[in-house]
Formats: sequence, C-alpha cells, structure tokens
Amino acid sequence: MVFNEKIVNPTELRHWEGKIELYWVYTSGSAGDEFFKALKKGKFIAAKCKECGKVYFPPRIYCEYDFSETEYVNISGEGTVRAFTVARLDKDEKPLEKPEIYAIIDLDGTDGCIVHLLNAKPEDVYVGMRVKPVLKAKNKREGRITDILYYKPS
Amino acid sequence: MRVAVVGVGYSGFNANTPDLHWKEIMFEAAVRAYEDAGINPRRDVDSFITCAEDIWEGFAIFDEFVPDQLGAVLKPTCTICGDFLYGLATAYMHITSGLAEVAVVEAHSKASDILTFGEVIKFAMDPIWLRQIGNAHPYYFAALEMAQYINECCITEEQIASVVVKNKNNARLNPSAPYGGKVGIEDVLNSPMVFDPMRKIEIAPRADGAVVFVLANEEIAKKLTDSPVWLKGVGWWSETSNFDTMSFNAMYAAKAAKMAYKMAGITNAAKEVDFAEVDDRFAFKEIQHIEALGLSKRFETATLMVEGYFDRNGELPINVSGGNLGVGNLLEATGGQKALEVVLQLRGEAGKRQLSKAEVGVAQAWRYIPTASGAVAVFGV
Ligand SMILES: [Zn+2]
Repeated sequence: MVFNEKIVNPTELRHWEGKIELYWVYTSGSAGDEFFKALKKGKFIAAKCKECGKVYFPPRIYCEYDFSETEYVNISGEGTVRAFTVARLDKDEKPLEKPEIYAIIDLDGTDGCIVHLLNAKPEDVYVGMRVKPVLKAKNKREGRITDILYYKPS
Repeated sequence: MRVAVVGVGYSGFNANTPDLHWKEIMFEAAVRAYEDAGINPRRDVDSFITCAEDIWEGFAIFDEFVPDQLGAVLKPTCTICGDFLYGLATAYMHITSGLAEVAVVEAHSKASDILTFGEVIKFAMDPIWLRQIGNAHPYYFAALEMAQYINECCITEEQIASVVVKNKNNARLNPSAPYGGKVGIEDVLNSPMVFDPMRKIEIAPRADGAVVFVLANEEIAKKLTDSPVWLKGVGWWSETSNFDTMSFNAMYAAKAAKMAYKMAGITNAAKEVDFAEVDDRFAFKEIQHIEALGLSKRFETATLMVEGYFDRNGELPINVSGGNLGVGNLLEATGGQKALEVVLQLRGEAGKRQLSKAEVGVAQAWRYIPTASGAVAVFGV
C-alpha cells in the first residue's frame, strides 16, 4: 500500500501558490436597472406582486412565491433595524482598522429589507431603531449599491 | 427497497494536511471504505458520486478530477455541487431506481489549501446587492442571523457558550477531532467578540479530511455484512437565495427533516431519535438546528442545552463527535463527518464516546454562509 510510508520531514514538502485573475461583468438586470437608475436620482423603488401584493426589496420582476409578475412602487428608503452586528475582522480575519456595523433593515412600505452599513456608535444601536440612507453626492453616483454610503439614525 | 451503508472510510480530520494532495486524502478514505465493505471498486461498484464545489477546490469543473482516486475510471461517475448528504440522497435514488446495486459517495475538504477563505465566501454572495458592501469578513452575515435569532428566542450568551463547552469537551474523546479542548463557560465568555454578539470561539475553525461511504441494496447488503446500517430517510430543502426572503430561522433544516422523517416513518422525532449530529459551524446554529429537527421545542432548546439534556450522557445527545466546533469546518464533507459519526455509533464502533442507546440517529448539514439550504439523513439499525 502506498501509505506504508509518508513524508515525515516537513522541509521536504512542496507546494506552490497559485492565483488566477478572473473578471466578470455583473448585469443588474431589468429590475436592478430600474432601481439603480432611480437611486442615482436619490429615489428608492420596490416591486409589488400583482397577484399577492407582497412588496419586494430588493426589487425583482417576479414573485418568488406564486411566480407571477410584479410592478414597481415608490418607497422612501427609510426603515427599521431588525438585527445588527459589529464586525471587527476583515476578510483575512485581521482586525479592521475601524469596526463596521452591518444591519438588516426592514424598509418602510415593503415586505423586504436591505443589508447595509450603519454609521452610528455601536452602543447607540438597538433593534427597532429608525434609520435612513445617506447617499453619495449626486455627481459621484455610479448606479450601484455603494451609492448608498451607509444608513444613519433618523 | 431498503438501502444500507455497508462500508465507511475516512481520512483525517486535521487542521492541515501538507503531506498529502487532496486526491490522496480521497484515496486514503476510499481504500478504507472499500476494505470496510469488503468490495473491489473496479469490479463491484455501479455508481460513484462525489460532492464538491469548484470554488473550494481552486479549479473549475471539479467532476473531471474525480474518477482516478476513487477507482471510478471508465465507470458512471457524477459530482453533486453540495454537501455529502445530498450525495447520499442521490445514491439512494440510484440504488432504489435499479440503476445501481452498489453506489459510493465521497466528500472531502482541503480547506488548508485555501489562502483567501473570506474572499471565497464573498464570491458566493450576491454581487449586485451584497458583495460590494463594507470590508468585513463575510462571517458578519452569520452574525446578523445570530443577532436576529437570539433576540427572537431570548437566548443568552451563557446559553450559546454552553454549546461550545459541550462540543469542545465531546471532541476530547474523539481521536479524529483536532479542535477538542477542556473548555469552560468562562473560557468562552473570555473569547473576543469578533462579530458582536458572536465570539471567536463560536466559529468553527477549518479542517481537512475526506469521507467515503459504500451503499448497497438490501440483497447485496445482506451478503456483505451481518450488521448493515440502514439509510432510512433523506431530505433536502432550499429556502431562497435572497436575504430578504430567508427565514433566518433554519426553515431549510425543518423542511428537510420533515421530508426525511416522512420517508423514515418518524412521527415524533423528539421521542424516536436517539441522537443527532447537527451543523454547528457557528455555535448558535446548533440550537437553531436542534429545534428545526423537531428534537426540542422553540424557546426551550437553549435552556435544555444548559441543563445537559444534549450532553453525551444526556437524554438526547447532540454532536457527540464534537461537532464542527470540535472537528472543524469540513466544507462539503461536513455532512459526511456527521453521517460517519452516526454510522459508527449505530455500529457500536465509536470507542470511548460510544452511546449506550443508539438505534436511530440523524445527520444534518447546512450549505454554510450565505445560504438557507441544507440536507438531513436518518439512519437506523
Ligand atoms: Zn405574489
């Protein structure tokens, strides 16, 4: 059997570091496009199911429960904190220079939510806290989710 | 038709495995499983199923890399992009449909080869709505779920800590668990908050290893062994990929369990299941999953945990192997390690951690962050 012997001297072990660069474009799709175009103008939209009336955020063109179509509705973008965490480690599990607060925010007038950063002191944040979005300056907006810089207490 | 587990083999589990290629880890586990079953894979196996995810492996189209190390060259082979337990469900169907008399299921983890684990998980997050937000490790996504869950169920940090204490100490009796330790409540509460309310010690560290099962139809099983373990039920379920419609309450596990229990003829899991191995890659997940499997009632589970109900010598032992907190995060082999522990217990081969009553056992695995999907398997003797 080949495992009668194994490499016992770690200095004899070899490996090489491999990386490969891969690039994609991620299309936002028709519902995403509708949202990000509105966001550039400082507006928020959601999508309401024509069948059951459920209001989706993030908006999408179909209802995932009854598989029927939706229509866009305007919302304020403001909401209520459902849950939050104070993240202290970066993607390499090293301490973040400044902890980031992430929150699940139930958006007004929808059955949906957004997951985004919260700009507040950790000790001031609580479940049920009312928050509103802070957007980049109008001329800096790119039509992506990071056009929302963060949410802050309202 | 009944389907039996007639052979099990595993390699590991270790924090890292620098001396073996991932194919060699698979080979090692496979050789042991075939030896255990008393079969020759080149002659006796009709279907080979591996469970793997390209992004964990570091290369694409993983299924092309499978046949050789399993003895599956020039044989029916396929790869399930999911946990080992999904592979078991597939093997069950191959056998009960008559396509195969003997089927092999494999899953592995060479997590130590992944240099950018955080980035890999980030790659699984929605690129439009989620991936671009912030700079934190995607563990934050599990912490959000934890925050919501412990708030809804009024679970305290001491109760969460008791999961870590139980599993780390259980792992001390498992020679294959690299992360066992004599850990007390205070040790957990002194572990740094890294994603409040989640502490570092509540996150299962990664581990390497492989699990291989040989399954057979009843006729073959009875020829191969006097003590088959029966795969009595399998179930799998996905909620949704969207964070806005996820339950954050392990509904995937509840539904998968319902499917598996129905197949196994279990109507009252809390009474009929003797023990279970559940996904505890974050400590709070164990409590959530115990409830989802119907092994205790919502709002009562955390209290029972502290009272020792789920201890090795408790009423309904959970993660007697040490769970992921003790054995490690085995990626797609997570359910494999859990199924392995269930089979070893049912066979009476679990060494010092052998349970006195082990006739029906359940294995459950989640598909990890950022999913709301998972699978369940019920085994019995
Ligand atoms: Zn609808």
